[in-house]
Amino acid sequence: MASILGGIVETVAALASGFKVTFRQMFRPTVTENYPDEAPNFQNRFRGLHVLQRDEAGLEKCVACFLCSAACPSNCIYIEAADNTAEQQISAGERYASVYNIDYNRCIFCGYCVEACPTDAITHGHEFELASYNVTDLIYRKERLLAQKTTTDQTAAGDPALSMPSGRNQSAS
Amino acid sequence: MMGETVKIRVDDRELEVQRGTLLIEACRAAGIEVPSFCYYPGLSLQAACRMCLVEIEKAPKLQTACTVPVTEGMIVRSNTEQVTQARRSMLEFLLGNHPLDCPVCDKGGECELQDMVFRYGASESRYGEAKRHVEEQQWSPVVYFDAPRCILCYRCVRVCDEGMGVGALSVVNRGVHTEIAPNHGDHLECEECGMCIDICPVGALTSGAYRYKARPWEMQYTSTICTHCGDGCKTTLSVRNNKILRGNNRDRSGINGEFLCIKGRYAYDFVEHPSRLRQPLIRRGRELVETTWEEAIGTVAAKWSEILARRNKAANNTLAETSEKRSEGFGVIGSNHTTNEENYLLQKFARTVLQTNHVDHHRTADYAALIHALANESAEQPSQAQRPPLARSKDIVGASAILLVGNNPTEQHPLIAWNIREACRLNGARLYIIHSRRIPLLRQSHRFLPLGLGHEADALRHLCGEPEATQALLGETPSGDNVTADLLNDFRNRLQEEKDVIVVFGDEITGPDVSLLIRMGSRLSGQTRYIALGDYSNSRGASDMGLLPHLLPGYRPVGDAAARAFFEDRWKSPIPATVGLSVDDMVAATLQGGMDALYVVGANPLKGRNPEDFCGKTFLVVQDLFLQETAQAADVVLPAASAYEKSGTVTNTCGELQRLRKAVGVLGTRTDLQIFASLAAAMGATLHPSQPEEALEEIRQMVPEYNIPLANVLAGGAEAVLNPNGFKPLAAPAETSGRVYSAQDTLFTSGTLGRFSNILNLVPERNIRKEPGPA
Repeated sequence: MASILGGIVETVAALASGFKVTFRQMFRPTVTENYPDEAPNFQNRFRGLHVLQRDEAGLEKCVACFLCSAACPSNCIYIEAADNTAEQQISAGERYASVYNIDYNRCIFCGYCVEACPTDAITHGHEFELASYNVTDLIYRKERLLAQKTTTDQTAAGDPALSMPSGRNQSAS
Repeated sequence: MMGETVKIRVDDRELEVQRGTLLIEACRAAGIEVPSFCYYPGLSLQAACRMCLVEIEKAPKLQTACTVPVTEGMIVRSNTEQVTQARRSMLEFLLGNHPLDCPVCDKGGECELQDMVFRYGASESRYGEAKRHVEEQQWSPVVYFDAPRCILCYRCVRVCDEGMGVGALSVVNRGVHTEIAPNHGDHLECEECGMCIDICPVGALTSGAYRYKARPWEMQYTSTICTHCGDGCKTTLSVRNNKILRGNNRDRSGINGEFLCIKGRYAYDFVEHPSRLRQPLIRRGRELVETTWEEAIGTVAAKWSEILARRNKAANNTLAETSEKRSEGFGVIGSNHTTNEENYLLQKFARTVLQTNHVDHHRTADYAALIHALANESAEQPSQAQRPPLARSKDIVGASAILLVGNNPTEQHPLIAWNIREACRLNGARLYIIHSRRIPLLRQSHRFLPLGLGHEADALRHLCGEPEATQALLGETPSGDNVTADLLNDFRNRLQEEKDVIVVFGDEITGPDVSLLIRMGSRLSGQTRYIALGDYSNSRGASDMGLLPHLLPGYRPVGDAAARAFFEDRWKSPIPATVGLSVDDMVAATLQGGMDALYVVGANPLKGRNPEDFCGKTFLVVQDLFLQETAQAADVVLPAASAYEKSGTVTNTCGELQRLRKAVGVLGTRTDLQIFASLAAAMGATLHPSQPEEALEEIRQMVPEYNIPLANVLAGGAEAVLNPNGFKPLAAPAETSGRVYSAQDTLFTSGTLGRFSNILNLVPERNIRKEPGPA
C-alpha cells in the first residue's frame, strides 16, 4: 500500500518538475523564428551580403583604392578603376570603380574589407540567401552590390531598407 | 683605383671611407639610415628637403648629410633625440599642404613620403588649417601633375635637365606658391621619357598610361628586355590579369639602371592592339581569311615539300634546268626582333630543311665588317690590350673621350645618349662629334667636325692623315657651318692626344669604311674601343646567329668548307655552299617571279611598296604580329608572339646578352620557335632543339663567342658576348652583299611595332620630330 502511494507521489512530483519548465516557458517571450515563413531578425553587426554605399548626394562612396581587395584574405574582390569626368561624375573623388566584383564562392564574410575601407563605402548588409545552382551567379557585379539611389531626405531619416539592393528586411549596419 | 681614405665615426661606429665622399653616401654604404628626398645619386646636390639632417660634432647646428663631404676625424650622430625631432618636424611641414588622398593616389603603396612618415613621422597632425588646393593638370598624354602633392625635391627638374639634357621642367613662384612648371605654359614639349614621373618620390607627377589602372601590391613584376631599339634596356613590366600596365626599372638593375625612354616605358601597348593577329590567315582567291593553325601549317608544309621535291628532281636531272626558267628556290627573311634562339633555328631551318642560303634580315649596322676588321687588326698587331675592343654600353660612362661618327643617339639610341651625357657630366669625358647635322648631343660636345652628307669616310681619312681627304672637307657644309683647315687640324690634334677613346658609329660607316675606322682608331694612343649602333632589339643577335646570306653563325663564311663541315656535322645535314641573296635581291627576284617561296619572319621588306604587286608572284608565308604590307601580300599569315610573350635571349647593339622573360600571353598566337618546330614536323623533318634553353645550349656549343658564363644573364643581368680579341683572323674577307641601312626611327617611331602603339601615336612631339637622320 505504502509503495503504491509512494509511486503516485513520485509520479506527480516528476510531472510537476517536468511541466515546471513547460509552464515557465509558456509565459516567456518566444525566441524561435519562423524562418523561412517569416523573415529572420538580425543584429545590426550581422555580416551578410555586401552593400556599396552612396553618399548624401547619391554619388558612389567607393573611390577604387583597392584596399578592400588588398585586405581580403580569400582574394575575392576584383576592381578596375577609372577617371571621373566632368560629364560623368560617379564618385566624389577623382576616380571610381568601373568594375567591382565580389566572388561569393570565395568570400568568407570576415569583414576585413569593411574595416579597410577608408571611405566607408563597402558595408555588410543583411542579405544572406545566396545559394545558387550556378557558381557564376555567385560572382556579384557592382550593379548588384550598389545601394539604391535615394533622395537626400530618405537616406537621412527614411526607411533603411530602401538603401538595400534587394529589399528584404535588412537594415544597414 | 682607391684614393686616400679618411676615418670617421658615425653613431659610435668607425668607418673608413674615401676622401671626398658625401657623408650621406658613407653612412648608407655602412648601412646607417639617413633618409632623404632631394638627394639622388648621379644628380646635382640640392639640399632642399632637409630630411638628411645629422649632428656633426663641433658644428653649431644640424647639418645636411647630403652636402657635407667626409673629413678626417669627423664625429657624426644620426640617431639622437634632436635628429629624430628634426625629421619629424620636417615631415610635419611637408604634410602641411600634402593632401591625404593616398587611397586615390597612384603612388600609394610605393610612395617615399608614405614610407618616411610611417618610419619617422609623428602619429598625428597638429595642423588644423585648410590645405592649399590646386587642380590637377595634364601636361602631356603621359604626364599628369598634381601640385599639392609635390614636396619640391626638384628631382624631376634635375633629371630632365641633367640626365635627359632636355630641361623641360622648371620651378616657378616663391614661398608656399612654389611650383614645378612645364616648358610650354600648360603643357610639355619634351622627349616624353617619363623619367620625371619615375623619379618623383610622391604622386605629384603620375603617368597617364598607368593612371588608376592598379595598385603596386597587386601586380606581378616581370623583368624583361625592351623590344624597341638596339640598346637593350631592361624594363620591368607590371602585369595584372595578363595585361601589361606599366614598364619601369625602379630597382636600377640591368645595363640601363633606372633609365628608360618613352618606348621602354610606355610602348608595350602594341601587345593588345585591336589589329593584332590572333588567328592564322590563308588566301582564298583575293581575300585573306581566318583559318585554323592545323590548316595553315599543313598548307605551308605541303607546298614547301612539293617545291623541295621539284627542286631535288630538277637538280638530279640537269638537262631540265636549261629548258626551265631558272628559279632561286626558297628565300628566308628573318627579323631583328626575334630572340637569338629563334634566329639560330630559323637559319638552321633554312639551310638544312629548305636547303637554301638565301637567308637575310634588315641589316642596320655592319657588325660583320666590324668583327672581321677587329679580328684582322688583332692578328696584325698581337695586342697588348687588356680589354676587349668592343665596348659595353656602361663603358661609355667611364671613358675619357668619346668619338661619335654619324647617327643621332638622342633619337635612335636613347640609352647610349644618356650614357654619353652622364660621362660628360660626371666624369668630364670629352665628346668629339663628326656629323652632317647639328644633333642635340652637340650641347655636350667638346669638338665638332661638321661635314656634308656622306663625307664621314673623308673625315676618317683626314684623321688618318690623308691630305686629299682634308681638301674634300673644306668649305661650307649644308648645315651652314664653315669648315676651315684650322678646325680640321685642331679636331685631329685634340683627338690624337686622347688616351682612352670609345668610337660610336652609325650606319654612315659600313663595309670598307669600317676597316678605315679601325685603322684610324689604332692610330690613337691608348686602346680604342668601338660600338656600332644598329636598330631594333636584336639586330646584333641576328647577325651573330648567321641570318646572313654569306655567313654562318659566328661569322663563319658559307664558302669556307671547314666552317660548313663543322655545322654539317652537328646539324647532320648538308649546307649549300654558294652565297645567297640579300633582302633587296630576294624582293627583286620575287617581283620577277624568280622565287619559288618566300618565308618572312617578323620583318616587313615590302614596306613602302604596293602589296598588290607581289600577290601571286611567289608562295609567300609571313609570320608577324600585324597585317603589315608584306603580310597583305602573303598566301599564309601566321600570328606570332611578341618579345614580351616569350622567353629567350637577345643581344644588344653593344653585344650584351640579356634574357627575355614571358610577361603575358596573347590567345591564338604562337612563339616563332614553336612555329618553326611545327612547320618542320609537318614537313617530316626534324628541327632540334625545340626549347629556348636547349637552343641556347646548342648556340653556346656552336658559336664560341656565346660560350660565356650564364649566371649573370639568368639572374637578369647582362654579359658581353666574347669579342674577337684573340679570335683567329678569318681567311676570307667579309663579302659585303646587301645594303646596311638604319631604319631612321625617331624617339616616337619603332618600325611596324611603333605604328601599333597608341601612346607613341598620341604624343604631339611625334609630328615635330619626323626624322632622326638627314632628310
